[in-house]
Amino acid sequence: MKASKPRKAVNPGAARPRQLEENFMLKRFAGWWLAGPATLAVLVFLILPVAATIATTFGDDGGIFAPYIAFFNSGFRRAVLWRTIEISLATTAISLVVGFLTAYVVSKSPGKLKSLLIIAAVFPLLTGVVVRSFAWLIILGKNGILNNFLVGIGAISEPLSMLYTQGSVIVAMVYLFVPLMILTLVGVLENIPDDIVQASSSLGATPAATFRQVILPLAVPGLIVGAVLVFTGSFTAYATPQLLGGERQMVMGTLMYQRAMVSFDWVGASTIAAIMVVITVTVVLAMSRVARRLNPMAT
Amino acid sequence: MTQALTVQNLTAHYGATKVLEDLSLSVGKGELVSLLGASGCGKTTTLRLIAGFLEPTSGSIRLGDKDLTRLPAYKRDIGLVFQNYALFPHLSVLDNVGFGLKQRGVAPADREKRAKAMLERVGLAQLADRLPGALSGGQKQRVALARALVIEPPLLMFDEPLSNLDAKLRVDMRVEIRQLQRANGTTSVYVTHDQEEAFSISDRVAIMNAGRIMQFDTPETLYQRPANAFVARFVGFENLIPMKAVARDGATVTAEAAGGARLKLSQERFGEIADSFVLATRADGLAVSTDAKDEGIPATLGLRTYLGRAYQYQADSAAGQLIANGSLSAPLEPGAEAKLMPVPDQCCVLKPE
Repeated sequence: MKASKPRKAVNPGAARPRQLEENFMLKRFAGWWLAGPATLAVLVFLILPVAATIATTFGDDGGIFAPYIAFFNSGFRRAVLWRTIEISLATTAISLVVGFLTAYVVSKSPGKLKSLLIIAAVFPLLTGVVVRSFAWLIILGKNGILNNFLVGIGAISEPLSMLYTQGSVIVAMVYLFVPLMILTLVGVLENIPDDIVQASSSLGATPAATFRQVILPLAVPGLIVGAVLVFTGSFTAYATPQLLGGERQMVMGTLMYQRAMVSFDWVGASTIAAIMVVITVTVVLAMSRVARRLNPMAT
Repeated sequence: MTQALTVQNLTAHYGATKVLEDLSLSVGKGELVSLLGASGCGKTTTLRLIAGFLEPTSGSIRLGDKDLTRLPAYKRDIGLVFQNYALFPHLSVLDNVGFGLKQRGVAPADREKRAKAMLERVGLAQLADRLPGALSGGQKQRVALARALVIEPPLLMFDEPLSNLDAKLRVDMRVEIRQLQRANGTTSVYVTHDQEEAFSISDRVAIMNAGRIMQFDTPETLYQRPANAFVARFVGFENLIPMKAVARDGATVTAEAAGGARLKLSQERFGEIADSFVLATRADGLAVSTDAKDEGIPATLGLRTYLGRAYQYQADSAAGQLIANGSLSAPLEPGAEAKLMPVPDQCCVLKPE
């Protein structure tokens, strides 16, 4: 330690060098001690199991990448992967637009109304994912609220089958993730100073130009965080696609469950998990690159 | 083209609170006018109304022959310099300066040329590619100034532009602002709470209080001839002494203060003097004498402070607490009895409050 050089006590009343050193060490490592339990938990309960899971996928029979080759050789599994990406991208894109517009309105509302709107946005989060997905079963079912309404007003003569389609999964997931997006973006939009918006309009920028050239670029960090949250959330979702997509709209989460719990193909399930981890990490990294390009302030 | 600004009978409310009352103000072509006052006096509200960020309850705002009153801010064509600079953090210095030109549809090449030329004028050409986050406070304010000037606005407004800078830089910057404003001949409104700043760079200053203009005049007039007790106190007349006219002889009025001090005042100099009025003087305008034969307001001296050019005394008198400056050659101790005599040359005659 460089700091352990003994120092002369300047006056007898001052703390002795030994004591100073101890205080210094305590301060220096206090941060680590505080973060210790959480770090340990992440290591033992997350990193080790994930590493162990991925380790099992590098098979010994038929070459080290055999499970991955098997995965990508199966047209069905490729289709599932593609569908999952499609659903997650669609969910993310729709949540971005809906969430951003809503967050903009919320952030511009006066104090009391704003709290009320935020509570309204967060309210669905107080119930479980299964409950919220189930609600869509009731809305979208053959005898559901929406079909009854459409038949009732004479817009359609036969009930539509809306459940177990890609659309139904996307709608439910957007509903699931929009509150997250709104919360993230309200914080970011509120942090854009009024001065900057006023400066823009004093320089002749129309409200639309101010939105496009000032507010949107400054909201990019929030949009990225929101997009990452929604993408990873919907890419790894299980309950919602299971309830609203069923067997017909199988995604990576439901496929993995099926491999593990129905077929007892643990290596196959682990392979799916590993592919999901790789894709999620890649998307997170790619998105932060995009963020840096669009807004040099973002890190 | 620079234009004259005319504000007429402007009244504004925040919710139910009236923050501006029947304010009228005219700023001539090429003139720099400051709105000066403590926080909450309505100066910033006035600026925000002119800029179009607030809507007045009644009254009108005209720039040249254009009526701005109900025009949205982005159509007003006013250059604004903010206290917090309000630079766009995601745009380079050059793009910040070019922002207004871009909104006016100036082609990119021309935009860059004009923005560069303006940066040259404020001495920041070498920082064109930096982001605002990498600039010092003074540099940021220069960029903000360049950004407001480059659109060649008919009116330029400053909202406490120097408050966030250190003292030395403030003085340099205000000279620079004045030079640029003079060179461009742009009509300007400058909001500040700093009297020295306002007086040093303005053609005229409006001293504001509680949503009204108390006096609107040149700095010289405000400093020497305040029109009322509020402005007198604001510009540093420490002593407001109630007086009564006791004798009149032609243009000369003999007035008496509490405690019996008499002095002759010329109505040729002070205008018509009422029977009851307030005589305002600075500490320098009260002569301190210990000679019992001298006339003056009898007072007991209190705390003495050293000002470098004089000693200043807090004094208790029949006319209230007074502050007077005495000579360096004869320091007086606390408790000493003295006579304080207003020097007519350095006095103002005001209406009683």
